[in-house]
Amino acid sequence: MGDSSSASYIHMVHHLIEECIVFNMSKEECMEALSKHANIKPVITSTVWKELEKENKEFFEMYSKSKKETMRDHHSTETNHVRTTDDHHHQN
Amino acid sequence: MLAVSPLRDTYTTRDEKQGEALDSSTNSCTISFSSSINGGDAFPDFADSNLLDSIDFDDLFIGINVDGDVLPDLEMDPEILADFSPEDYNSDVNTSVSVDKSADVDDNVGNGTNAVDQDKTKPAEVEYDHDNVSGSGSGLDSSPSESVARNNGASSTNTNTKEAADKGGGRKSTSTAQSKNNFQGKRKVKVDWTPELHRRFVQAVEQLGVDKAVPSRILELMGIDCLTRHNIASHLQKYRSHRKHLLARDAEAASWSQRRQMYGSAGGGATGKRDVSPWPVAPTMGFPPMTPPPVQPIPPPMHHHFRPLHVWGHPTVDQSLMHVWPPKHLPHSHSHPPPQVWPPVTHPPPPDPSYWRSHHQRVPNALTPGTPCFPQTLATAPRFATPPVPGIPPPHAMYKVDPGNGSLTNGQSGPLPFFDFHPSKESVDSAIGDVLAKPWLPLPLGLKPPSMDSVMMELQRQGVPKVPPSCA
Repeated sequence: MGDSSSASYIHMVHHLIEECIVFNMSKEECMEALSKHANIKPVITSTVWKELEKENKEFFEMYSKSKKETMRDHHSTETNHVRTTDDHHHQN
Repeated sequence: MLAVSPLRDTYTTRDEKQGEALDSSTNSCTISFSSSINGGDAFPDFADSNLLDSIDFDDLFIGINVDGDVLPDLEMDPEILADFSPEDYNSDVNTSVSVDKSADVDDNVGNGTNAVDQDKTKPAEVEYDHDNVSGSGSGLDSSPSESVARNNGASSTNTNTKEAADKGGGRKSTSTAQSKNNFQGKRKVKVDWTPELHRRFVQAVEQLGVDKAVPSRILELMGIDCLTRHNIASHLQKYRSHRKHLLARDAEAASWSQRRQMYGSAGGGATGKRDVSPWPVAPTMGFPPMTPPPVQPIPPPMHHHFRPLHVWGHPTVDQSLMHVWPPKHLPHSHSHPPPQVWPPVTHPPPPDPSYWRSHHQRVPNALTPGTPCFPQTLATAPRFATPPVPGIPPPHAMYKVDPGNGSLTNGQSGPLPFFDFHPSKESVDSAIGDVLAKPWLPLPLGLKPPSMDSVMMELQRQGVPKVPPSCA
């Protein structure tokens, strides 16, 4: 009884975490979101996240790598843009 | 001229008033000044007729050299102005009318036409019609360009304008066009925004930066005489609003298509058996070089669903941006059927991409982490996607497909951003809400669930003995 309710709860948290990943959120963001929107203790979110990571190592590796790359790309794009804009200004 | 314009307006608007005031006035002063000013519309706001008497209307003309040239000797082709109303013509034609007209000016001043502001052309304006132009404008013939232009007939204003400008002997052709436009408050030369013209416009805008593009600079960059700042300004306005519109729609389409794809594949994978390995799915979350997203109703093989997080340089859904803008200038463009389905779009001719793509390249990713409001972020995201992607089905088409997936119901309101910005709180909230409300929904990613024992142990270690916790 307790188990099944725990299990379903954990499953729900798992599901929610997956949703957050779909939204490309980080673990911390996920913790915050779930706490805010679903009233789930961040520690629980964090634990489930870590356990998921263990079970799906490659996925999470890829996930964090892609997030890092995205951030890098994002920043460099911005930088480039700024530079470009400046160049234009100088030219004009 | 500057001094004149207000007078003009004054006169035109006050004509009626003038009449009324005069009529109501018991004085017989009406006649006195009507002869000195055209239409007698001095400043009729003086209800007191005595004021009218006391006003020396000649003073009004002090600044105006009625007998001489008010404006530089612009070559204005009377034919060009043939389409204009007499007032307009009056104001413009003076430039080309030679000085010998001035002699007639005074006589015509009192003719009730709007002659105050400009001199010279009085005769022409008085009997303003095409025939009389030549008759009264004997001086007009003196200028070869004028006669030539006149011979052309009052055809396209633009054409005449150009010709006159060209034949102006380089004499302020630009100012001619502009002065012409400035003169008439009523008539603007209709600019024909041909694709070529528009392309140059876009180039100029892009060069300046679409947000920084100022009509005067654009005009300079384009270097086209026949355009006025006003033309540019209004075109720019349309351009910007249309672009936003397209971007928004495109973004929405992109989000929906992505979502659909993801759910399609995820649903296909997760529905039924949870054992389906997520690996075919997961790796695509990296940045596999995405081929142009197959944005068709049928979700492509599962590999595609996670759009790369950096969709910036990605040739994704730029297609919609190729939308016909301006639509009306594509009569001569190809008749290839619009790949995209936006109802307002008529046909996106291939040249159109060039309209937009060039500046798309440079569009920065304006999104920063934490940017809320997913639809808007999407709007900016595809801005610099490049090659057009054919056939972005409209959102409603996608909706049709979704239920087929089984996994994604239309209750699923949160879009899948899959960009590197953060989704709006609303979309996150709704997605979470969905999960809470419908726990039977399949997992979007289908990750391998953690072992319960492990989780519980860990939780207890963390000080959470019981789940669900009684207090959150």
